[in-house]
Amino acid sequence: MHELVFRVAVVVLAVSLPLWILLSVAVLGGRARYDRRQRIGPLKPNGRQVDRLLKRALGRPRTEWGEWRRISAINRLARMRHPATPHILYHALWDGDPKVAGAAIRCLGALGDLWAIELLVAALRGDRVSRSRVAAQLERLYPEPGFLFLPLLRDPDPAVRFWGATLIAPYEALGEIDLVNLTRDEDPNVRAAAVEALGHRPGEHAAEATVALLEDPAWFVRVHAARAAGQVAGVDAAPAIARMLGDERWWVRTAAKDALEGLGRAAVPALVPVLSSPDGFARNGAAEVLQDVGLVDHLALEEPQSPLLARIYEAGGPKLREAAEERTARERRIREEKAA
Amino acid sequence: MTNLLAILVGVCLGYLLLSNAVYVVLALIGAVENGVRRHESEAEDYDTLASSRFTIPVSVIVAAYNEASAIVSTVTSLLDLDYPEHEVIVVNDGSSDETLERLAEAFELEPFELFVRRVFHTEEVRAVYRSEKHPNLFVVDKQNGGKADALNAGLNVARYRYVCGVDADTVFDRDALLKGMRLVIQDPGRVIGVTSHLTIAEDPERTMSAPKGKRRIDRRPFVAYQHLDYLRAFLNNRLAWSRLGFMLCSVGAFQIWRRDVLEELGGYARGFTCEDIELTFRVHEHFLREGREYSVLCLPDNVGTTEGPDTVRKLVSQRERWQRVIDETVWHYRNMWFNPRFRSVGIVGVPFYLVTEVLAPAVEVLAVVSLGLSLVLGLFSPATFALMLAAIAFMNASLTACAILLDDVQSRTYRTRDLARLLLLAPLDLFLYRPIIFWARLKGSWRFLRGDKEWHKFERNVRSQAA
Repeated sequence: MHELVFRVAVVVLAVSLPLWILLSVAVLGGRARYDRRQRIGPLKPNGRQVDRLLKRALGRPRTEWGEWRRISAINRLARMRHPATPHILYHALWDGDPKVAGAAIRCLGALGDLWAIELLVAALRGDRVSRSRVAAQLERLYPEPGFLFLPLLRDPDPAVRFWGATLIAPYEALGEIDLVNLTRDEDPNVRAAAVEALGHRPGEHAAEATVALLEDPAWFVRVHAARAAGQVAGVDAAPAIARMLGDERWWVRTAAKDALEGLGRAAVPALVPVLSSPDGFARNGAAEVLQDVGLVDHLALEEPQSPLLARIYEAGGPKLREAAEERTARERRIREEKAA
Repeated sequence: MTNLLAILVGVCLGYLLLSNAVYVVLALIGAVENGVRRHESEAEDYDTLASSRFTIPVSVIVAAYNEASAIVSTVTSLLDLDYPEHEVIVVNDGSSDETLERLAEAFELEPFELFVRRVFHTEEVRAVYRSEKHPNLFVVDKQNGGKADALNAGLNVARYRYVCGVDADTVFDRDALLKGMRLVIQDPGRVIGVTSHLTIAEDPERTMSAPKGKRRIDRRPFVAYQHLDYLRAFLNNRLAWSRLGFMLCSVGAFQIWRRDVLEELGGYARGFTCEDIELTFRVHEHFLREGREYSVLCLPDNVGTTEGPDTVRKLVSQRERWQRVIDETVWHYRNMWFNPRFRSVGIVGVPFYLVTEVLAPAVEVLAVVSLGLSLVLGLFSPATFALMLAAIAFMNASLTACAILLDDVQSRTYRTRDLARLLLLAPLDLFLYRPIIFWARLKGSWRFLRGDKEWHKFERNVRSQAA
């Protein structure tokens, strides 16, 4: 036993001690090398190195490590704006490997040239890359690609129409008619994206289309419709939005609250009738919005005996009242201190 | 007697060699995973992610119980996160100290009524506050119900599809959430949970006040050893588990989950000493039982610094709790042990926990007794005994050096001289730090057997800024 333990201990020590030294050298040496590189900055590759990068960028590695070397080569060549960059990125974009395609998408977004934007839009139409990644790059390139999004709104693929509507949202002058048409699209995702985009476009057609979607059967369309209607139709849409405070879906009720809060005190006339709604959610929501737009504090400070305040307290419950009283007590103290 | 002792020594040394061999394999797999994640991170376009409206919003939930000394720094670091859309929900779980007052003062809180979804039953919510300065900060003040209950109250308030539970004593890097959500954004359908690597310090604010690359590791070896312990746990083990598909501990200090998954599972469980590891086990059990595709990942990115105990008593209190919760969870999910229905989780992951965590204290006691007796009875010469200890010490030191290497390659966080000090401390870990952990694990196992589920929260360290 003693002999065996002795031998095993010697073997383990003979392996682990040099290994510890080796790893320690690797830590300190690697760090010193990294610090030196940080000081001198990135080196420009010479001709031979560029050739090697080109070979790697266009190669078909079989290992994961090789794939990352390829991605690194693609990134470096794109950063250098090497003349072969369009060719390399085109091939990388349609590569079966999502990692390589992802690298190409990032490089195209960073370059931002017209050819790069066209490639990104083409990638959005194809189904081989992550469309959200492509969209994030196209969004970053505002305002260059706007007009290229218009054909996407009429694409037969609903996913492409969805991304087209999503991306065109910040371009207020573009695509209003198409977006209004898309609010009647058969795909609820497209309708949601269209109504969200219309939220950026004040106008009669946009207002009508958004208010119409407040009754959409898909709950997430109603969410976007509520937010957009508040922005586009304003106070006119307040009664319709206020009705959504009693929606069966929490997300819709929250969107309605956000939209009504966005309208400020102008939403008050639409909210007062909801305080007497038979639906508890609607009553609570109306009271919360009236609290958030500052009406509760105003009444509590200026007209504490107001019947409207009593109705809000009744609809909102004791906690809403306690919170309001705490806030107003503080406000009164501040006013008294100022007056003194 | 001598034969029995020889058998016992053989069993203990066999266990030690086998477990270390497994750790070496895990470290190698962890190194591969670290390399892949590093390449991915280098190729990632963080600027676009940080500004894009397509980046998925996140609700960050902080459960705080008597965290007056740390809470302001933690919340400040969370509000400063470089992320396009996030909200911070602090749940004051009936603190008896000044946690709520400090928050109210620092962030100008105002009471407001907020009608939220009551998806999870929790102790009574006393009030909800909003910040005048930060519209994305909410503070929920509730009756004490434990950390799981506080997190569930935060979930009720959370508005977004992803939630990130964090500890109230942790200070985060600005890119923490961006790095954590990177893989979720790539594959939101599959990635349902993410955790990442955290480091430890006696005073996290002081450590985090220096930029990456110039951060210091606490001068006290006691805290430095805890730092090494974290490095080994995250970079040698959890990265490998993540790659092998059985990441079984999404740490409470930084855990991102898809909200609908938590709703489906009924939220955080209150019946356990601690909530994080149990939830991760439950997620695996649920998804594998239903045969659904999913991923729970651990990333190698250093996302923040958490407070480490600064005395032996506090450390023992913390680690005995960790041991208890591991024992509770592994025992609770005993249906998964060696069960092929749960794939790699049942065949490798849970048994790994059983052998290296649950049974370890018993084997360690056996080893101490049998080796001590062997030495007294002359079964080994003192020289052989010393050689054996040296072998174990350098075996541990090699694994530690591997973790330091992986961390530095990934994050380049600490000064070179601090890395050198850590490397030199590594071989002494067996003699200076392991005995404390051994005692804590033993205590935790004993308390588990007694059915003790108390939290025994350790007193917070005195902080330079908050003091």
